[in-house]
Amino acid sequence: MSKRNNFVFTGLHIIAWIIFVGLCVEAGGLIVNFIFSLYKPEFIQNLYQKLDLSQMYNLNKWVFFSIYSFILFISILKACLFYVVIMLLHKINLLKPFDTYVAGQIKNISYYTLSIGLISYIARQTAQSLQHYGFEIDILNQFWADSQAYILMAAVIYVIATIFSRGVEIQNENDLTV
Amino acid sequence: MPIIVNLDVMMAKRKMSLNELSEKVELTLSNLSILKTGKAKAIRFTTLEAICNALDCQPGDILEYKED
Repeated sequence: MSKRNNFVFTGLHIIAWIIFVGLCVEAGGLIVNFIFSLYKPEFIQNLYQKLDLSQMYNLNKWVFFSIYSFILFISILKACLFYVVIMLLHKINLLKPFDTYVAGQIKNISYYTLSIGLISYIARQTAQSLQHYGFEIDILNQFWADSQAYILMAAVIYVIATIFSRGVEIQNENDLTV
Repeated sequence: MPIIVNLDVMMAKRKMSLNELSEKVELTLSNLSILKTGKAKAIRFTTLEAICNALDCQPGDILEYKED
């Protein structure tokens, strides 16, 4: 492994950790806000990152909780996704990368990515349908703007995972060839 | 597996230990052990040639086919 590759890999590891911490903070903030909104509705005006869903709450509480559940679920899935990425980067051995664990983790990444993409897409369609009933949904677009990108990424990662699994089989066969 | 490796039989006939054989064929003890215990998935012709040369035998003396 060249020194440059190692440097890039270490850099990726650090970036993954930074993103993971950021996503955990976001998911944690959303969870806390959710719990607070159950007992003190006045906090809905000033949710995580100054999100104001008070109009939605006043029109229909169930719609508010449904949409907020989508937001919460997506943010938790993103945090889980990056946790898997960190575990993968932590355990991968670049000298012998074709490992059953690594192949499994790459498949898990593709499943999480697909879940995020599908749920984001469903949430976006749900929010767009609510527009006809007078709900303001523009502020929510930030949470599911990139749903199609996640679905595409999931497909690409799944192909990579399949190729990697075949690589593991070939590696194992090679290890048992004398 | 239908292919049986009778390496230990030939080694006993030639009164050769695993260490000696590994030095002669230039194969590590772990690889020889994989072959001896029947865990190997494949064997290179160069390895087979070296083993036959070291044990003064034919490939058929080491490899046997038995249907499951």
